[in-house]
Amino acid sequence: MTDQSFAIAATWYDGEVALRREGQARWDPAGFLVLTEAAAAGSAATLPVRIPIGDLQFAEKLRDQLVYTREDVPDFRLRLPRDMPPGFAKNLPEAAEYGRWIDRIGLGPAAAAFTVVSIAAVALFMTAPEWLGPRVPESWERRMGDAMVGDFGNRLCSTPAGDAALAKMLDAVDPAETQVRAGVANIDMVNAVALPGGQVLLFDGLIQQAETPAELAGVLGHEVGHVRERHVMTAMLRQFGMSILLSGANTGLGDTLFGIASLGYSREAEREADAFARARMAESDISPLGAAEFFERMADEYDPLPEPKEGEESDGESGEVATSDSENAITGWIASHPAPRERAKAFRDAAKEGEYPAILTEAEFGALKTMCEEDEDVEEFDFF
Amino acid sequence: MDETENSAPSAFGFEGTWQEFAPIAFTNLLLTVVTLGIYRFWATTRERQYLWSRSRFVDENLEWAGTGKELFFGFLIVAVAILLPLFLISQGAQALVLQGYEALGVTLTFATLAAAFYLIGVARFRALRYRLSRTRWRGIRGGSDDQGFKFGWSYVWKTAVGTLVLYLLTPWAMVSLWNEKWSKMSFGPHQFYADAESGDVLLRFLLFYLAPFVLFLALGIATLFGAGAGFGFGGEEGAAVGGGIGIVFGFIAFYLLIGLIAVAFYSKFYEVVIGATSWKDLDFSFEASTKDWVRLFVGDAALVILTLGVGYIFLSYRHWKFFMTHMEASGEIVLDELSQSQTDSSQTGEGLLDAFDVGAI
Repeated sequence: MTDQSFAIAATWYDGEVALRREGQARWDPAGFLVLTEAAAAGSAATLPVRIPIGDLQFAEKLRDQLVYTREDVPDFRLRLPRDMPPGFAKNLPEAAEYGRWIDRIGLGPAAAAFTVVSIAAVALFMTAPEWLGPRVPESWERRMGDAMVGDFGNRLCSTPAGDAALAKMLDAVDPAETQVRAGVANIDMVNAVALPGGQVLLFDGLIQQAETPAELAGVLGHEVGHVRERHVMTAMLRQFGMSILLSGANTGLGDTLFGIASLGYSREAEREADAFARARMAESDISPLGAAEFFERMADEYDPLPEPKEGEESDGESGEVATSDSENAITGWIASHPAPRERAKAFRDAAKEGEYPAILTEAEFGALKTMCEEDEDVEEFDFF
Repeated sequence: MDETENSAPSAFGFEGTWQEFAPIAFTNLLLTVVTLGIYRFWATTRERQYLWSRSRFVDENLEWAGTGKELFFGFLIVAVAILLPLFLISQGAQALVLQGYEALGVTLTFATLAAAFYLIGVARFRALRYRLSRTRWRGIRGGSDDQGFKFGWSYVWKTAVGTLVLYLLTPWAMVSLWNEKWSKMSFGPHQFYADAESGDVLLRFLLFYLAPFVLFLALGIATLFGAGAGFGFGGEEGAAVGGGIGIVFGFIAFYLLIGLIAVAFYSKFYEVVIGATSWKDLDFSFEASTKDWVRLFVGDAALVILTLGVGYIFLSYRHWKFFMTHMEASGEIVLDELSQSQTDSSQTGEGLLDAFDVGAI
C-alpha cells in the first residue's frame, strides 16, 4: 500500500472543546485515518485520533478546503486541503454538491428527470379526477356532502306548495330513481350551484327574476347535469389534488368549502351539463326556449353590445334596464359560465316545432316565487 | 496560560462574494422549479452552508451543519401532525356553520385561529433553536433545552397585550419576547442573556402615530399644488385633473413615508435588542443606521426590478451580508472554557419539529 506514505496537513476540532488542533493526517495500513497533533511548544500533544474509514462523512466544500465529520461524533470537524494527492483522497467519502441523488446522475440529467417526473405528476393530478370522479360511488359523495353542508341549518326556503312545485320540476329534469336533492336558498342573488353530495340549490334571486318556469327548469337541469355527470366530484378531486401538489411549494393546505363550491368547471363540463339539461327537457317535453331566453337576457345585461354575427338577429326587446344590483349578481353567474349567447343558441336550436305544455301552473310558479317570503322560520344566509 | 481571544473591533466579518453565490442560487432555483418546490429544503441547506462558511467570527468561520433531509422530514411531520388537523378542523367548523350550528362553528374557528397563533410562537422559538443547534463555531454548537411551548403562550398574550392602547404596547411586546427567547438560548456551555428595554424603542414607535397627520398634510399640499398647476394649464377642468394627480402623488408619498418610519423603527429596534444581548463576557451590538437599512431595501427593490424578478434569489445573500457586516461584539472569550453544548440535539422524532423553520431572528 502506498497510501500510508502520504501525510497531509490537517486541522480539526474534536467537537468537545473549542480548541483548534493542527497537525497531520495519514492513512494507516488497517484503514484508519490517523490525525496526529503537532506538539506546540510548552504543551503536551494530545493522543492521535484514529478514525475508521466508514465513520468519516463529507460535510462541505470551502474555498481551499474540504470539511469532513464523523458519524459517531457529529460535532467533530476535520478540514483537509482541496488539492490533496489522489492516492490520499481515494479513500475519503466523495464530496457532495446538490444532494446524493442528484450528484450521482449529474445536475443536467437530474434536472431533466425531475422535469419529466413533475410534468407527469401534474398531468396525472390534472387528468386523474376526470376518470376517478365518475368512479367514486354516488353514495360516498352523498355522505361527504352531508358531512360538509347537511341541510344548511334551515336556510333553505320551504312551503308545502313551493316544495311540491320544485319537486315537480325536478321530476322533469332528473328522472333517475335516486334523485338529486334540490332546494331554494334564501339568498338574493341570481345564481344556482351544484354542491358536493348531489345537492342543487337555486338562489331566491334567480327565482325572482325568472319570467317563466321553463327558464328555471333549464337552470335546474343544468345544475342536475353537473351532479349526474360527476363534475362536482371531479372538481373536488382536482382541487384536492392540486392542493397536495402545491403543498410542496406552499404550506397552505387546500381551499375552503366555498372555494370548492365556486370552482369553475371546464367549458366542456358546462356544455355537458347543458346537453344533459336539453336531453332531459326533451324527454319531459319542456320547452328549451325558456332557458334560451334566460341566457339571452343575461348575455344582454352582461355584454349589452354584442358584435352582430351572421345568422344571429338581435333580440331588441331587453337589455336597457339593468339595475346595478342585478347587473352585479348576473355578472357573477356569467363569469363562471362561458359564452351565454352560444349556449342560448344551442337551447334555441333544440326547440321543436309547435307548442310545449306548461311545466308548472301559474299557481305552482307563484308558490315557488313566494316560497322564501312565506317560509316564516327560514334563516338568513349570512353566516356570521 | 489560557488560550484567549480578544475580539478585534469587528468580531464578525463576511467574506463571501455574489459571484461565488450565484451558481448556488441559480442551481437552487432550477432544481426547486423542476421539483415543484420540493427541493427548497435542500436549497435552503446549500445556501446556508455557503453563507455560514463565509461568515467569520473572531478567527474562525461558522459552519452550517443542518441537512435538507431533516428540514424535509420536519416539514412532513408538521404538515401531517399540525397543518392537516388544523385544516380538517377548520373544514369541520365551516360545515357546522353551514348546518346551522353557528355558535359552535364560530367558536371552533376562533379556537383554530388561536391554536395557529400559539403554534406560530412555538415555531419562532424552535426556528431560532434549530438554527443555533445547527451552527458550528470551532466545532461547538448552540441550542436550548427549552421546548418553546411556554414561549408560545408568551407570544400569544404579549402580542395581544401589545395591541392595547392603540398598539402603544407593541414595542414592549416585541422587546419582551426578544428577551425571553434569547435568554433561553445557549451556545456551547454558556447561556445568552438579553435585557433590552422597550423605552429605548418607544420614541421611534411613536413616529407611526404621526403618519395620519402627515397623510392629511401630504394630501392637502399635493392636491393644492396639483390643482394649482392644473388650473394654470386648463382652468377648472385642469384643476380637477391636477388635483387628482396630486392626490395620487400624495398617497405615494404617504406610503413611502410609512415605509421609512417602519425602517427607522426596525433599525432602532435591532440596535437596541441586539445591543442588550450578551453571551458570557461578550456583548453584542448591531451598528446599522436607518440610512444603511434604507440603502439595503432600496438596493433590494432595484435589484429585483432591474432583473425582472430574478434578483430575488440574491436577497437572502444581501440580507445575511448586511446582518454579518453590521454585527459587532466586544469582550472576551476564554476558549479553554468553551466546551460542547449539552443541549438536546436529537436528530429524529420530536427534535425534527425544530425544523419548522420560519424566519428566526
